[in-house]
Amino acid sequence: MLGLAAQMLRFRKGTFVATFVALAAGVMILMTCGLLVESGLRYQGSPQRYAATVAVVADRDRTIAGPEIFGETESTTVSLPEGGRVPEALVATIAAVPGVADAVGDHSIAVTPVAAPGVRTTGHGWGSAALAPYRMVAGTQPQADGEIAVDARLAAGGKLQPGDSTSIVVGGTERKFRVSGVVDPLGSQAAVFFTDAQAARLDPNPGSFSAIGVLAEPGADKQAVVAAVRKAAPNARTFVDGERGLVEQPEAVAARALTVQAGAAFGGYAAMIIIFVVAGTVGLSVRHRRRDLALLRAIAATPGQVRTMILAEVGLLSLLAAVVGVPAGLAATAWTRNQLVTRGFVPDTFALSGGALSAAAVTVAVAVVALSSAWIAALRTTRIRPTEALGEAAVEPALGGRVRIVSGLVFLAGGVSLIGLTGATDGTTALGAATGMLYTFVLAIALLAPWINQAAARLLTPVLRTVWGNSGYLAAANLRANARGMVAVLSALVLSVGFGGTVWFLQDNLQRQTVVQSHDGTLAQHALTGGAGLPATAAAKARKIPGVVAATGVRRTSVIVPNQLEAQAVAAQGIDPVGADQTLDLGVRAGSLAELRVSTVAVSTTLADSAGWELGDDARLWLGDGVPVTLRIVALYHRGWGFGDVTLDTETLTGHTATGLDDHILIRTAPGADVTAGLADLASAYPLSTVVGTEQLTGELAQDLAISAWLNKLLITVLVGYAVLAAANTLIMAALARVRELSLLRLVGVTRGQIKRMVHAEQAGLLGVALAIGTAIAAITLSSVVHAVSGVLIPYVPALGAATILGGTVALALVATMLPIGRVLRTPPIEGIGLRE
Amino acid sequence: MSDIAVTVEGVSKTYGGEQPVVALADVDAWFLKGTATAVMGPSGSGKSTLLHCAAGLDRPSSGRVRIGDTDLSSMSEKALTKLRRDRIGFVFQAFNLVGALTVEQNILLPSRLSGTRPDRAWLAEVVDRVGLGDRLGHRPSELSGGQQQRVAIARALVTRPEVIFCDEPTGALDIQTAAEVLSLLRSVVDDTGQTVIMVTHDPVAASYADRVMVLADGRIVQDMPQPGAERIAEQLARLGRRQPVASREG
Repeated sequence: MLGLAAQMLRFRKGTFVATFVALAAGVMILMTCGLLVESGLRYQGSPQRYAATVAVVADRDRTIAGPEIFGETESTTVSLPEGGRVPEALVATIAAVPGVADAVGDHSIAVTPVAAPGVRTTGHGWGSAALAPYRMVAGTQPQADGEIAVDARLAAGGKLQPGDSTSIVVGGTERKFRVSGVVDPLGSQAAVFFTDAQAARLDPNPGSFSAIGVLAEPGADKQAVVAAVRKAAPNARTFVDGERGLVEQPEAVAARALTVQAGAAFGGYAAMIIIFVVAGTVGLSVRHRRRDLALLRAIAATPGQVRTMILAEVGLLSLLAAVVGVPAGLAATAWTRNQLVTRGFVPDTFALSGGALSAAAVTVAVAVVALSSAWIAALRTTRIRPTEALGEAAVEPALGGRVRIVSGLVFLAGGVSLIGLTGATDGTTALGAATGMLYTFVLAIALLAPWINQAAARLLTPVLRTVWGNSGYLAAANLRANARGMVAVLSALVLSVGFGGTVWFLQDNLQRQTVVQSHDGTLAQHALTGGAGLPATAAAKARKIPGVVAATGVRRTSVIVPNQLEAQAVAAQGIDPVGADQTLDLGVRAGSLAELRVSTVAVSTTLADSAGWELGDDARLWLGDGVPVTLRIVALYHRGWGFGDVTLDTETLTGHTATGLDDHILIRTAPGADVTAGLADLASAYPLSTVVGTEQLTGELAQDLAISAWLNKLLITVLVGYAVLAAANTLIMAALARVRELSLLRLVGVTRGQIKRMVHAEQAGLLGVALAIGTAIAAITLSSVVHAVSGVLIPYVPALGAATILGGTVALALVATMLPIGRVLRTPPIEGIGLRE
Repeated sequence: MSDIAVTVEGVSKTYGGEQPVVALADVDAWFLKGTATAVMGPSGSGKSTLLHCAAGLDRPSSGRVRIGDTDLSSMSEKALTKLRRDRIGFVFQAFNLVGALTVEQNILLPSRLSGTRPDRAWLAEVVDRVGLGDRLGHRPSELSGGQQQRVAIARALVTRPEVIFCDEPTGALDIQTAAEVLSLLRSVVDDTGQTVIMVTHDPVAASYADRVMVLADGRIVQDMPQPGAERIAEQLARLGRRQPVASREG
């Protein structure tokens, strides 16, 4: 059978090209997603500052049990947005473990060197230099509290030499130090070494370390040491080997989360669309070969043998598709990786690794999808009667059974029931909700397509006749008679219109919502922004400037909330509640921000929906460093996209963020007051800070969003592109299958012009229906998802985008049909009539 | 062992729908081994339906069909296929061959599907008889209509079937080529003693048969030893004046 299948493939290349293209593109997309996930999972950064350690003890994630569903709890591990801390006392405990030569606590302090503000730098105590170990390049280690050793990158960037005096901004304050020495450049960020005592003082979270490095005695049994350390530090995690890189480089953790999450989510959406497309294409190709299959049945093939042959064909095609798709996927991933590095999403140590696993998984997955659709299509061929081989024309089968119409209606009802959905708190969930809803609708349309086509043909007959005359009459007859054959075409067109119209605009809407909410909700006219963070005194100082009505320090962080399905980190802000009503309007829907204090919290309405919280409830959540808190909900607000889903009193966050500093101060001034000089004074009091208008703050937000949305837009483009490719594929296949029919029409006297007009009329009918349905689906899906995330009922649709989608679909349908039809019409009709379809 | 190759007993065939069409109405017929029978009749007379039912391509609505001693009525689709593969050969009017396969592969398709090793010597002989020796590697699209029919006949012969069913085997051929194909079919009966049942409306084609059976409106209206092409044409002309009821034609 395999030999026969191979021969069929070789001979009827044209018929299989469409399936092959769909499969290969599918393999490529899934391969890219899979490889991103695989590389992300394998990526651990590279331990350099901790290179000499046998293990590093740190607290970097929380495993949180989800709610009980069907008697089972699924727990999620969320990495701590601010990084956890380990207590100072643990150092002594670990140092006492047999086989441990030394345990060194490491402070990681956010610092900004004034001499080279562009060099990303972290401050440490000199003791931790032994963990690498760092080598002195020049000078000596810091011996007094006023001395620092700098790493060679910083020395080069700030033109520093031993003996020089330089300023470092720590904790929002500028301090002078003397450079005592220069060390090797190690790790992803430049290092500044203080004396251990100084580092302990400068750490915003005193009494704790961000990690403890463990040095083993020479000749000690490493595994035994690690096991003993694990036992000694049960409340933290002990990282060994490559994992140590994750502790050293927090951005490695972020890169890992980004690639794994994006790859997995889009892999899922892509898988759904690929199933849809592949099933359609395989079904169509089997359908176009009815007569061939009937002949095989008549001569000698059992239904089982015909099925086996179809499966073998599709199996071979899947393998071929993998041969092309896997390398293409590798190339696409390499490109994506470079883009991610260039755009700063992942550090440049992020390397693509593995691939064999992804390639195998993707090949198997695509083959399974293709084979199951082939199996379903092949089941239908059992119903091909051998006598059809003898007939002149294949009889168009009936519209479809009751099962089809009932399941179509069920899916339609399912889609409608999703309209009222709520609680999408971030882009990922919103996109997930939109795609789920969209697929439900498209599936319903695909199932109901025969009836839709027929009804549309009936409805359109008078229109087509009026506009196109005799050609229109023929077109209407074709649409009516071929209602079943056009199913794949209609659903492919609806899918691309619906998909393009929903997910593409959804991203625009989310970005716009964030900017609009931030703009509308900011009452202050000025903002003091500090590149190195601002201490709490800054807000107090601002309030004292004459003409300033109110000033609010804003501290951006993330907190972990146990959502109804799984725990996730959400954006949060800490504010100083005093006078906040003058600077911020979060759009409070219930309760009051006036009650915000250490023991209370305000949350967005979307988060309250998804976490199942109500006003007055006690919300249990984890602060950015993993410390659990229970806070009473005193306000629900709707501007969660602009300001984060959780708003806390800054005091609640004290000691729980990495820097312990505010990000910016919002300043409201009285109308007409001249505060220019006062604000300039304020800015000069804090290093690296400036006063800007709040519009500029919003503008920067929009820019940040555009950058972070880049990956989403890229993947969405790929998905929409795939849907469009599938539609073009289907249209071309359907057009090329009409050689006989069109030849016959020409033989009985229909001119080429009339045939072209007839095809135009058909296209107009089909496109009209597809666009109407696709637009309706996109409109419903988009507005209900946008409503769920922002409360706005009418989504924002850029006119250019809408024109691109509608115009693009029309152009696609015309090109993908008229070109092949033109080719068909160049075949002499007498030759065409003899060909088999 | 009886001398009857195919038995058709009380076979009726009705095509469903809201207004059912009766294609065969209670037909009884039997076909002797080593004979050629031409089944004739106007369009819609049910002659193709009779052929399909007799060959196990289609199931009668009622009645039974036997190939040799094997009753087809209770057989599964799979068993029917195997029976067709081993004991029946087919030659259709057109679209006989799988375009993807060469002449040789088309001829050997039934044995390939049944998983039996082809008898090379017999293949050579069959190919030689149909005069295709130099065409084995060609594809159907490179052959003329007559050559394609000869490939189909070779395929029907190579499994040494008991009965060869032909549906308008010369319908798409010119007179000269048709004569060649018909002589070939005749020789199959005379030389190897196989049975040929052929649906045709060409009196000349029918004149190669031993017996002519004429159908009209789903019934056998005449069953006679082959009386010569002219007599057959006369008979048909008389039938032709009656209007056919249905227009179901394979």
